[in-house]
Amino acid sequence: MILFVCLTRSFAVNEQTDYPSLDQLAAQLRQLANTHPEATLRSLGKTAGGKDIWVLEVGTGALDQKPAMAVVGGVEGYHVLGVTLTLKFAENLLTSNKETLASQTFYIFPNMSPDAYQQYFAPLKYERMGNATEVDHDRDGTISEDGYEDLNADGFITMMRVESSLGGYVVSEENPLLLRKADPKAAEKGTYLYLPEGIDSDKDGKHNEDLEEGIAFNKSFSYQFPAFEALAGDFPVSQIESRLLLDYLYERPNIYTVFTLGPANNLSEALPYQASNAQKRVVTSILEKDAELNKRLAKLYGETVSLKPYQQTNQGTPGDFFQWAYFHFARLSLSTPGWWVPEIKTAEDKNFTSTEANFLAWADSMGLEDVFVPWTEIDHPDYPHKKVEVGGIKPFVMHNPPYGMTDSLADMHTAYILQVAAQHPKLELLDLKTEKLDKDLTRITVELFNDAPFPTHTEMGKRSRWFKKIRVDMDRQVADILIGDKIKLIDSLDAYGKTTLNWVVKGKGAVRIQAGAPHTGYTEITVNL
Amino acid sequence: MISFTMNTFNKTILFFGTLFLFASIEAQAQEKFFRAIGTPHQPKVEVSWNRYHTNAGLLDIMQRMVKAYPDLVKLQSIGKSFEGRDIWLLTVSDFKTGDPDRKPAMYIDGNIHSNELQGTEFALYAAWYLMEMHGELDFIRELLADKTFYIAPTINPDARDNFILEANTPHSPRSGMIKLDDDMDGEIGEDGFDDLNKDGHITQMIRKSPTGRYIKDARDPRRLIPVAAEEFGEYEMLGYEGTDRDGDGRVNEDGIGYYDPNRDWGWKWQPDYVQRGAYKYPFSLPENRAVMEFVMKHPNIAGAQSYHNYGGMILRGPGAEEDLDTYNQQDVRIYDAIAKKGEEIIPGYKYLVVYKDLYSVFGGELDWFYGGRGIYTYSNELMTSYLYFNNQGEKGYQEEDMNVDKYLTFGDAFVPWKEYEHPQFGTIEVGGFKKNFGRLHPGFLLEQDAHRNMAFTVYHGYHTPKLTVSEVKEEDLGGGLRSITATIQNERLIPTHSSQDLKFSIERPDIVSLRGIDALTGMVVENADFNKVSEQPFDPANIRVKNIPGMGTVTVRWIVRGNSRYSIRVDSAKGGVVDWTP
Repeated sequence: MILFVCLTRSFAVNEQTDYPSLDQLAAQLRQLANTHPEATLRSLGKTAGGKDIWVLEVGTGALDQKPAMAVVGGVEGYHVLGVTLTLKFAENLLTSNKETLASQTFYIFPNMSPDAYQQYFAPLKYERMGNATEVDHDRDGTISEDGYEDLNADGFITMMRVESSLGGYVVSEENPLLLRKADPKAAEKGTYLYLPEGIDSDKDGKHNEDLEEGIAFNKSFSYQFPAFEALAGDFPVSQIESRLLLDYLYERPNIYTVFTLGPANNLSEALPYQASNAQKRVVTSILEKDAELNKRLAKLYGETVSLKPYQQTNQGTPGDFFQWAYFHFARLSLSTPGWWVPEIKTAEDKNFTSTEANFLAWADSMGLEDVFVPWTEIDHPDYPHKKVEVGGIKPFVMHNPPYGMTDSLADMHTAYILQVAAQHPKLELLDLKTEKLDKDLTRITVELFNDAPFPTHTEMGKRSRWFKKIRVDMDRQVADILIGDKIKLIDSLDAYGKTTLNWVVKGKGAVRIQAGAPHTGYTEITVNL
Repeated sequence: MISFTMNTFNKTILFFGTLFLFASIEAQAQEKFFRAIGTPHQPKVEVSWNRYHTNAGLLDIMQRMVKAYPDLVKLQSIGKSFEGRDIWLLTVSDFKTGDPDRKPAMYIDGNIHSNELQGTEFALYAAWYLMEMHGELDFIRELLADKTFYIAPTINPDARDNFILEANTPHSPRSGMIKLDDDMDGEIGEDGFDDLNKDGHITQMIRKSPTGRYIKDARDPRRLIPVAAEEFGEYEMLGYEGTDRDGDGRVNEDGIGYYDPNRDWGWKWQPDYVQRGAYKYPFSLPENRAVMEFVMKHPNIAGAQSYHNYGGMILRGPGAEEDLDTYNQQDVRIYDAIAKKGEEIIPGYKYLVVYKDLYSVFGGELDWFYGGRGIYTYSNELMTSYLYFNNQGEKGYQEEDMNVDKYLTFGDAFVPWKEYEHPQFGTIEVGGFKKNFGRLHPGFLLEQDAHRNMAFTVYHGYHTPKLTVSEVKEEDLGGGLRSITATIQNERLIPTHSSQDLKFSIERPDIVSLRGIDALTGMVVENADFNKVSEQPFDPANIRVKNIPGMGTVTVRWIVRGNSRYSIRVDSAKGGVVDWTP
């Protein structure tokens, strides 16, 4: 009977044809936790909208004594792909890559924006960023009084174009379905107003200025926090889901890498090192050695994930999570959207100037239908004597590929993530030497070696109090250690770096030497005196 | 058994004694006391303002206040500390003259740094003075009719009790009671101070050494003085009392904390590697979170004061040089006007700017109150050695401290050197100034300085906005139309929106409403002489006014038809609610 249920479930998973709803996601996470003893599912708490923030803890033995990676999806509610790639990574890890868990731990957060994620499945679909907290975005004293309206009743919020010489937009030459800004340098006269679908509900002359959504997860962190901007809030880390995540991360000093499946990308191209910004008190450039590391990991990404970079210019936005993980949490922070619309050439073999035109050309080449709402005339109360049409590219489709593509994307990214994790620091005690200075007196010499391509501490990590130092414990009483430390703290070791440890110890018998830190793992040897 | 009997006996005496006290308070005042100007002379709540209070002592005073003046004082818990203590807050206002949460308000707190005790007593003194003088002085009666004072005497109750009840230096714990891994060795708080001589004070350890650089002053053996470069001394200094508990060869390297609750606030917050003392993220400390949540729910707060020690300073932001452009000239003028009055009111205190006169620091409370909420805020660094002998020079130098303890406190401040057998250092001597000397006022200076700082804070609170509808004019426009023009005046220095507030629209606009008659259109009159107006075409009955400036006016106008009676309401988050009827 139990077997039957499992089979049915996994059959259902394979049958998934669209991105999973929150309930489906929770069911799949539960199934992973039930099937694999290495996985534990926890809810960190609930959002303002009453949705669980899930973490899947994956590892063996003492999870917090091994180097770890946090894999985070759903940093933007509209980026439903990130949630699925994170989930599929967990599945791949548990079904076919368990051997990596001997030395690594993974904390997997599939969806940090469940309130906004819901909008993909709601009767009215739009690319939502904010959670369910009540927020007065335009700061006029009234909450969410002017959100979107679905004027053509098609279940999507798209765009409106209003025939008007005041509007400043003209029809695009690249694709007549699209509009572009009139060119002031060419003294071009506009023919359309171009606005998101909606009406001026509060008649204040502003259009959709106070949306029915709250704070965006990916715009509300403390690094370069855009104070008082819409969706950001009044101060950083104001939302429960952010605090739950950060409290969890800060309590786990074994985390070495934070891998975000979200809009920012430092893997198609590494973050540039800018000396002047790196040297200020408030650091706004990746530090030099970390930039070299990023460069190497970007190269590896290009070799592992066959997505040719195109328009990957987002290397971080104010208040986002990916930059917080490096600049404030001081971890190795990697981020990729996991997919983007590939580059398509025009009939003249040129690049499109408009990313939307490029998208429509790609959709065409893929035979994708149903990505554009045709312009349809409607009556608009704000423009009583004007021709108003609703239409445009459907929400979500430019950031999330058809669901059928997600398996191969997940496979590539699983391979990449595992290659990154395999480079985490790994300590060993090598070349042990003992010399008898007298019958009761022994000199012990041993090399502490970081057998890994990553340093034990990134350059930024060395500055943070939220890492531990490498601690070497000599298991003898202080009185018996004539030379050397009972407890020795080492700031860091380079990639394949080493340091020599020395003691002169009195007495006989077995002596245990242990070295490590939560984010490097621990090693030990026993010396017989 | 004997002890039980004694207790019962004492309680009985106390009970009858209390009854007697109540009955005869009036008579006693007549017979035994003569009023000194400036001090409540018949306080319903007796408090000795020459000592410090534990949390239990504070709660007792606050509960007695509420009992004595239920129409003036309210006590609430705004949240819990890390160890589960209540963060208490007093609301002081005349509750019979309106909702205290809709009056312009002044927020006061103390003791964010746990060792900086006296901020608590100063804040509590302000509450006590206002309520005890309410029936005595017209000024205070009007003040409490117009304004509200929110007073949180301690916003770090856990470590306050630790400072008082456990062994500490004058500077510890400073943080709250959360322990962090200061030496990053994987263990948390494993090697803090040890009170070797068990006197409740962490003083100094010194040791005789042939290569020491110090000698005891022959004229004053309490004092260690350095020898010349070419001389050997007799003593070496070993730091604060402690042992190497974990065997790592270091002493006192990982105790309570360390973090700084005043690096935890959400304006331009920076992490620990940029700003030492920052915790995890803004408001990650529960005590500060409680204050933040209270402030967010009370947009009527227009002024704020935080009491620290030490140095005799009235501080304003910016805390960090990088935040210089947050403080613009318009707001600085108001800061200057209030603080310069403060320098007169509190002799020995200097008005200074944190980043350039003290140190450059991110995540401070005063920066969030101003940068994040647009509230004019000062931090006073209480106590200055000027108060001892009126010396203007170097603050708190050793020789002066020794003289204070010789001529003013007669040895109460110093633990004489005494030998001690230390497990690692061998024979040492332990002694030095006590934790409650230096940063903290001695009892005899406490009440005066509390009063003066209260007076400064009352001046600040007095200058939160006071709005009136100063003039209403009508004009017949012909054809049944008329205009109604109302002038709203702010009679105090502080505007309803600081320029920082206006820059980010932190607080909603003030709303001037016309009631009882339909407005055909409404406008703000920018220049009455030349009829320069700015129309509000939507919702004309409720004119949104961006700001009502300090010592200034705003004029609004409506065009109406007909002769119905009407009234006008001004509704301002920081300026309160004012109704006008003809």
